Amino acid sequence: MSRAAGSTKISRVVDDGSVFDGGQRNLWQDAARRFRKNWLAVAGLAVVVLFLLLALIGPHIAPYDFLEQNIMKAFQGASAEHFLGTDDLGRDVFSRMLHGARTAALVAFFTTIISLIIGVLVGTWSGIHGGRTDQFLMWISDLIQAMPGLLLVILINTTLRRPIVNWFDSLYEQTKNPFYLNTLWLDYVLVFSALALIGWPGLARLVRGQVLSINEEDYVLAARALGASEAHIMLRHVIPNALGPLIVAVTAGMGGAVLLEASLSFLGIGIQPPNASWGSMLEEGRRYWQIFPHLMLIPAVTIGLVQVAFVFLGDGLNDALDPRRNS
Amino acid sequence: MASFLLIRLLRWSAGLLLILFVTYAMMYYGAGDPIRMMFIQGEDFDSTDEAVMRALRAKYGLDEPFLVQFGNYLNKLFQGDWGRSIRLQVDRPVLEIVKFRLPISMQLGFAATAIAAVVGVALGVFAALYHNRWLDRLIVSTVLFVTSIPIFVIGPMLLLLLVLILKWIDVPYGWNGLFHIDAALPVAVISIGPLPGIVRQTRSAMLEVKGQQYVTTARAKGVPEAQIITRHMLRPVMTPVITTLGLIMIALINGSLFVELIYNIPGFGLLTIEGIRKVDYPIIMAVAVVGTLIIFISNFLVDMIYPILDPRVRVQ
Repeated sequence: MSRAAGSTKISRVVDDGSVFDGGQRNLWQDAARRFRKNWLAVAGLAVVVLFLLLALIGPHIAPYDFLEQNIMKAFQGASAEHFLGTDDLGRDVFSRMLHGARTAALVAFFTTIISLIIGVLVGTWSGIHGGRTDQFLMWISDLIQAMPGLLLVILINTTLRRPIVNWFDSLYEQTKNPFYLNTLWLDYVLVFSALALIGWPGLARLVRGQVLSINEEDYVLAARALGASEAHIMLRHVIPNALGPLIVAVTAGMGGAVLLEASLSFLGIGIQPPNASWGSMLEEGRRYWQIFPHLMLIPAVTIGLVQVAFVFLGDGLNDALDPRRNS
Repeated sequence: MASFLLIRLLRWSAGLLLILFVTYAMMYYGAGDPIRMMFIQGEDFDSTDEAVMRALRAKYGLDEPFLVQFGNYLNKLFQGDWGRSIRLQVDRPVLEIVKFRLPISMQLGFAATAIAAVVGVALGVFAALYHNRWLDRLIVSTVLFVTSIPIFVIGPMLLLLLVLILKWIDVPYGWNGLFHIDAALPVAVISIGPLPGIVRQTRSAMLEVKGQQYVTTARAKGVPEAQIITRHMLRPVMTPVITTLGLIMIALINGSLFVELIYNIPGFGLLTIEGIRKVDYPIIMAVAVVGTLIIFISNFLVDMIYPILDPRVRVQ
């Protein structure tokens, strides 16, 4: 206990020494200043924040239930009553879009968290221990990265659904626990896990690279000589140094997850009806595109806008957090 | 050199085998009983005689243990027997379907790659020549903008624009050969996928080459600027561009999935979607095999071509 406290103190001195660069601003203020100058990135950030905000509060401000059908009012255009019109079943498009935002944000959030955990664990393990395990893990991640991600996700999603549903059915038969009867959220779990499976290799490679390069630094050698544990070196030195690239990668990963969720639902194998997803709304709208183009246009423009926002945000973060580029 | 290639070949082959195994396992445990699937017609599949199903299962070797089945599958795969479709086009050999569908997608893919390569290299060269000036910024941010919009958004939006608003073309439908007007829009949309990688690679490689001394020498000798670009600069620039072939192929496969669905082209991408929607597991297996093969062959090709293009790699 006392030894751990002691080593923390010593490495803090080392840390302060390494931060010393003669300037007044710190790294993050510097990055924020660079980021603010890039107005495309700031606009991207605004759109992404708006998207996350709508996902959070959207279903509470939605004027209608996203499932409420009214055949008499199908295919209406924009009106005071229905802000963005109604779809083929007379459902309010605006409310469904808000619900779709929640779907997309949920998928983005959980996919990123899961792939971040796997990626950081595998990356640090590989970077620290090396050897055969490292080679094997990197071979697997190379394989996953070499495959077309969408194809992999489709395969996983279609093949895992049935056995899991069957398994839950049999669990219900045995236990009569109503928990196993509700399989609505299974879609989400399947999409999360499939997307996380193709998301972790990039993060693992990134973390591994950082571990390897930072391990060479003198201050890490010094910390190690003073008896710091591997976990301590990871938390105090490697992760803070890797934070910039990780933020960029996580932003890109979130955008990618939103895109893949929309792609899957567009192909009809992601989030299933009656749950609302932008991808499935686009696919449904495509059936009527020559007569009621707005049903296709609204989800299409939204997906496009959010994707562009994520890409410009990621690009701006990349420029801001990588000072070498600026010189 | 030879041992380098051999190791690469072994690595990619082992990878291919692993992916085949995982896919087969997923199909085996996930796709459900194929014999039962064959008889699903509406709701009355329960009426099928259990004894008949058992006999059929024995006939197709589906009562064997998992590993035996996988071995049999691999064995037949190499002999050109890829099984028969069980739901999409019942009883038609899968290899025959693939042989019909794949060339369509490959034509689309090659045309799209050609367009993406020409446009992408040109944009990359211009961006590098006007480095940090407005043309550079315009090219970089326009490419970033266009390519960040998903294909399944661009495809329908272009339909809307060209068919409904501008009325330039009729709705493209089906496959009438690569040189029919209906193929123009699909090819254009697919070519967007690989574009950003090509532009980025060309631009950064050009920037690196621009400052080289042999370029200055050529300029000092009075070689015309256009000739300097095409003769002296483009060859070293092409090397990193070609190494992105694997990524280009991924973009093409992704593109063909959506484009063929949107424009109703009976290619490999549409086969993938149809096979998966109908859970036609021999088709899904075939799609996974071919898709993986395409990716691995192109990665292996890059490994082989790279030392030829860049002599520095050979030393290692």
